[in-house]
Amino acid sequence: MTSLSITSPKPAARAARARLDWFQIGLLAVCGLLTTGALIYGGYLLTVFQLAMIYGIFCIGLNFFMGYTGQASFGQNAFACIGGYGSAILCVQYGWEPALALIASMVVAGVAALLIGYPTLRLRGHYLAMATFSLGLITYDISIQWTSLTQGYMGYAGIPPLGIAGFEIESERWKLVALAALLGFAFWISQRMRDSRFGRGLRAISGSENGAAALGIRVPRFKLIAFVIAALYASAAGSLFAHTVGFISPEVFGPQMAIITFTMLYVGGVGTMIGPIVGAIVASVLPEIFRSVGKFQDIAYAVVLLGMLIYAPKGLSSLGKLFRPRKKEEA
Amino acid sequence: MPSVVELVQSLVNGIGIGLIYGLIAIGFCVIYNASGIVNFAQGVFVMLGGMFAHTILTHYGLPIWLSAVLATILVAGVGVLVQIFVINPMWRRNAPLFAIILATLAVQLLIEQVVILTLGDQPRTYPEFTSGGPLKIGPIAVGYQLFWVLGCGAVMVFSLQQFFNRTRMGRALRACAQNREAAALLGVPVERMLIVAFALSSGLGAAAGILITPTQYTAYMVGGPFGINGFIAAIIGGFGSPPAALIGGIFLGVIQSEAIVFFGAGFKNIISLTLLLVVLLLFPNGLFGGLTKRA
Amino acid sequence: MPLLNVCGLTKRFGGLVANNEIDLEVPQGSLFAVIGPNGAGKTTFFSMISGFLGSTSGSIEFDGRDVTRVRQDQIAAMGLVRTFQLVQLFKGMSVIENVEVGCHLATRGGVAASLLRPAWFRKQEIEVRERAHELLDFVGLGSQAEQDAELLPYGQQRLLEVARALASKPKLLLLDEPAAGLNTQETESLARIIQKINAQGTTVLLIEHDVGLVTRIAHRIAVLDFGRKIAEGTPDEIKAHPEVIAAYLGVEEENA
Repeated sequence: MTSLSITSPKPAARAARARLDWFQIGLLAVCGLLTTGALIYGGYLLTVFQLAMIYGIFCIGLNFFMGYTGQASFGQNAFACIGGYGSAILCVQYGWEPALALIASMVVAGVAALLIGYPTLRLRGHYLAMATFSLGLITYDISIQWTSLTQGYMGYAGIPPLGIAGFEIESERWKLVALAALLGFAFWISQRMRDSRFGRGLRAISGSENGAAALGIRVPRFKLIAFVIAALYASAAGSLFAHTVGFISPEVFGPQMAIITFTMLYVGGVGTMIGPIVGAIVASVLPEIFRSVGKFQDIAYAVVLLGMLIYAPKGLSSLGKLFRPRKKEEA
Repeated sequence: MPSVVELVQSLVNGIGIGLIYGLIAIGFCVIYNASGIVNFAQGVFVMLGGMFAHTILTHYGLPIWLSAVLATILVAGVGVLVQIFVINPMWRRNAPLFAIILATLAVQLLIEQVVILTLGDQPRTYPEFTSGGPLKIGPIAVGYQLFWVLGCGAVMVFSLQQFFNRTRMGRALRACAQNREAAALLGVPVERMLIVAFALSSGLGAAAGILITPTQYTAYMVGGPFGINGFIAAIIGGFGSPPAALIGGIFLGVIQSEAIVFFGAGFKNIISLTLLLVVLLLFPNGLFGGLTKRA
Repeated sequence: MPLLNVCGLTKRFGGLVANNEIDLEVPQGSLFAVIGPNGAGKTTFFSMISGFLGSTSGSIEFDGRDVTRVRQDQIAAMGLVRTFQLVQLFKGMSVIENVEVGCHLATRGGVAASLLRPAWFRKQEIEVRERAHELLDFVGLGSQAEQDAELLPYGQQRLLEVARALASKPKLLLLDEPAAGLNTQETESLARIIQKINAQGTTVLLIEHDVGLVTRIAHRIAVLDFGRKIAEGTPDEIKAHPEVIAAYLGVEEENA
């Protein structure tokens, strides 16, 4: 039955590729310019942008699970915690190479996500939210209590910077360049997955689980894979934080991290392609512009998040759509 | 192996803290039943109750009972503000479930940070309501505060029952719980009922915080664990009637307190969170299936 | 051997019997319809066949295999694909992406393939897009391919759901009240599309409320009332069946 009558000229044979609108390209360009500016200007801005890149990687993963697949996880910081401590312990205690420690931690986080996700993702609604949230809290508590492994509140210092085979990236400028490249790589990977059979399946689940199942998509398995992918991203971000800052403690991966990253994702736009990157950079830079914010920073994040949730749940990346003329077809 | 005395002592302690969890759990149920929303910021009201009571007590030198009443009213006011400025706008816009949950988490962080800025980040406590004690029953010590918790808890649960069954407003709230659309059609002002629900549940949380602070301490970050434990108690109790939530709380408090004897105090939260995960996973629809039906 | 063979299918919700001992044989290549008044148990029947709802007793055999206890996505993978009475479009995706999701079963490749993109995978992705365009043209939505699916008018959303189901190359297509909420003109074009699908070799099982549509296009009709099958036959036999007229048609014609 494949031979269906074709009534219009054949369209150009090209695989589906998600396109950015001009507004989104503009946003990306601004983010690129800001990063370049920080690279030239140097100083404290370098640290701000290094963290923005790391958060960007985290948010890309979060967007995969929440934006594309439409599931709620309030505990992704647990996997960042695994990544961060994995890197710290392997490098400081056992003298591993940073790159290797990062990958090993990702494997651990991935396996953990698989084991935790399998039962947890059967839950729905408030239960899923509470279960994932408590996951983040359990990990936070363990990172404080299991002092023989994590050194408790003291945390780990002297974590070596990122590098491969003896080359360590010491200069703060080059660290930023490396992180920007990694962010680009992370984005590229997420794009490839999004624009494919697998990614379409995920987005279908977010649209309608029943509809997806009726077309033969194995919904629980797809959710689990998306959860693991998000965990891998989170773990990588946690490791990168450890290697970039050189110091970690439980607070870094505490519940605030969940709020900060959600703020970023909502500022940028949940479920949009560039939302995580734009959100991470904008939400990292804005507090620096209003330098006086200082100790009000967490308050600012919470207020901005509330504002976005109530008044602009689609975020910056969707603003362009407001100006795009909309075709209305007659039925 | 811990001795029998230790076990009994921790049982007594567990009942005390469990009653507190129960009160918080009732707060969860009141809002959930009226609106279908689980207010993840519930624990923050517990923290505020203790903080406000302490501030009024020490800064203005008012007697403890007046401080407690004032603090409860103030916290109920905060709850109303949260409903009016955060929950209601989202509710009207039909925001998705997880956005509302996220918003309540953001509210929690916001209030905690404001508390740090205004009242500081140091833990604080105040004396028990009745000085002296503890009451010794053989080798078991029972603090007088436990009787206050028991008494106040009983009074609150009883008056809540009366409120729901006897008053016009209480019955309207129950109507909202059963069928919101129908209640609205019958002329029940649903949004105003939600405000009442938030005031009630934040007041309950505050009372719990005020009662427990003398035996522990309060600080900006105690809200999270209290909230989670209250939620677990609510799940065990089935998100239904106040007495069931209270029993759920006592159950959780006793388990937690016995577990501390075996594993150490540092693992208090880890244990209750693990219990939560186990309950959720073994009963993916909740112990009484109440939550997912409408979630 | 029939493509779908339902035997004594029963569903109870507590004391309520939604489906009572229903037997049905859908022959290969036929255009079969199940009709019945509202609340007759049509949708329950459908949900059980497509694996979305477990049955209380009875058996369902599809393509020679017992599928009574098989999950919905596995049933779909065997070639039994359904649409929904309440349209289940994938919000946030364009019209053509919706159809591309439909190609899921007819294609392969997971995370690794999407990252490495070997030649066969790239070729497949291009074929998917071509096929999606063909199907959209087939249902007459070719010009709206890039639009947001949720912005389509209701009638076209239904057509999109049909195109999406077709993309998975089903052996048996289950259409759950496809004409619900359509105007006369839209129902007409839908009828033509269903006939074309059937003519190209896909067996179609249709649940309908609209008796007019069904008696014009179906080869064979079964009638449900209060969860029981009360009649089965050709459209002419059904139109003349006294019990059917009593239960259903009489009322319906007064309305029409």
